[in-house]
Amino acid sequence: MGRTKIKIDYSKCGDKSSVDPRECGKCLKNCDPAIFLLHESLDFEKENDPYDPQIWRVTPVYLSLCTRCMKCVEICPEKAITVKW
Amino acid sequence: MCDHCLKHGTAGKWYLNAENYSKELAEELNLKEFFLEQYKNFEAMQVRKIAGLDGVGLGYKIKMPIIGRITKHFAEKMLHSQKPKHNPFRAEGHIGQVIPLHDATSILEHCVDEDSIILKYCMCRFMHQNVKEACCINFGIMSEVIDKLPRFKPEKDKFHISKDEAIAKFKSFHEKGYIGTIWYGMYPYISNLCACATPACAGIRPRVEFDIKTVFKAEYVAQIDPDNCQGCKSCINACKFDAIHFNEKEKVSEVDLQKCYGCGVCIQRCKFDALILRDRKAIPEIALEY
Repeated sequence: MGRTKIKIDYSKCGDKSSVDPRECGKCLKNCDPAIFLLHESLDFEKENDPYDPQIWRVTPVYLSLCTRCMKCVEICPEKAITVKW
Repeated sequence: MCDHCLKHGTAGKWYLNAENYSKELAEELNLKEFFLEQYKNFEAMQVRKIAGLDGVGLGYKIKMPIIGRITKHFAEKMLHSQKPKHNPFRAEGHIGQVIPLHDATSILEHCVDEDSIILKYCMCRFMHQNVKEACCINFGIMSEVIDKLPRFKPEKDKFHISKDEAIAKFKSFHEKGYIGTIWYGMYPYISNLCACATPACAGIRPRVEFDIKTVFKAEYVAQIDPDNCQGCKSCINACKFDAIHFNEKEKVSEVDLQKCYGCGVCIQRCKFDALILRDRKAIPEIALEY
């Protein structure tokens, strides 16, 4: 089986958009193997409050555990996720 | 007994050595500053590049012939590090072990300072599943560190809890099927008693999926008394490590000793007293397998 590639468009969700993934979080909640990671943005590290960061994004980290069920693509209200293999 | 306990456990087990929980130790290693820096950046740790490598696509990296071995070697070297000074942006000196309920109770009863016990949101469930569940019991200087970081503080549950409350909480987590784990915040200081769930746990997952020793198996293994087992399979459904199988011929459950982590979750699910925890070291074939 080839590698799974998951891309999240941060201009639609996360640090480069007005959508806060902590509020939505549907991709994280609906992924059975929980391959996504919700984290404070490193691109906007200087802008973030170090004690209570407000700028967050989602990164798919455990790509090899993705089952290619496509639930994240279907559920994302911003259509920000693409899964390819 | 594992090498680690031989070296660090005056009571036989490293996590029952009260010295590892002491304020003096935390002060000596200047850990308050370290933890604060680490927990400010906690969720981003997996995506921050260390020597050009980050945790993204770890499963693929581990499978590559040479790079895989290098990655595993450096990951374990980092986690098992016993240096006195660490980089807060890395999970250095941060290893844990699975523990059953009775050991968790002993820790809470005998090793930790009552005034410093807190309940905080599990970071793993939050960062991997966007779920806020207050099921991490922390103690010692962690209570002062987490106090400064609002995102970890429970909104509904109490933040500071008593010993009895902590024990009752841990029991309820155990009944829910969560796996008890105890962690060095940074070696040799112990700061976290977690109630972990798969697949979200950032400690258990690398061990189970990629064989990186982030967490040791418990000092125990589950054993089934075939005379008492009624073949109801509730233990099989409870096991998060796929370590119990059904013997169709005998109509009883069987524990795969190599796979069992000794968490004891199956035991409280069994209605027929067919399961017990045995000392790992008493069973020669797995005595050294942590």
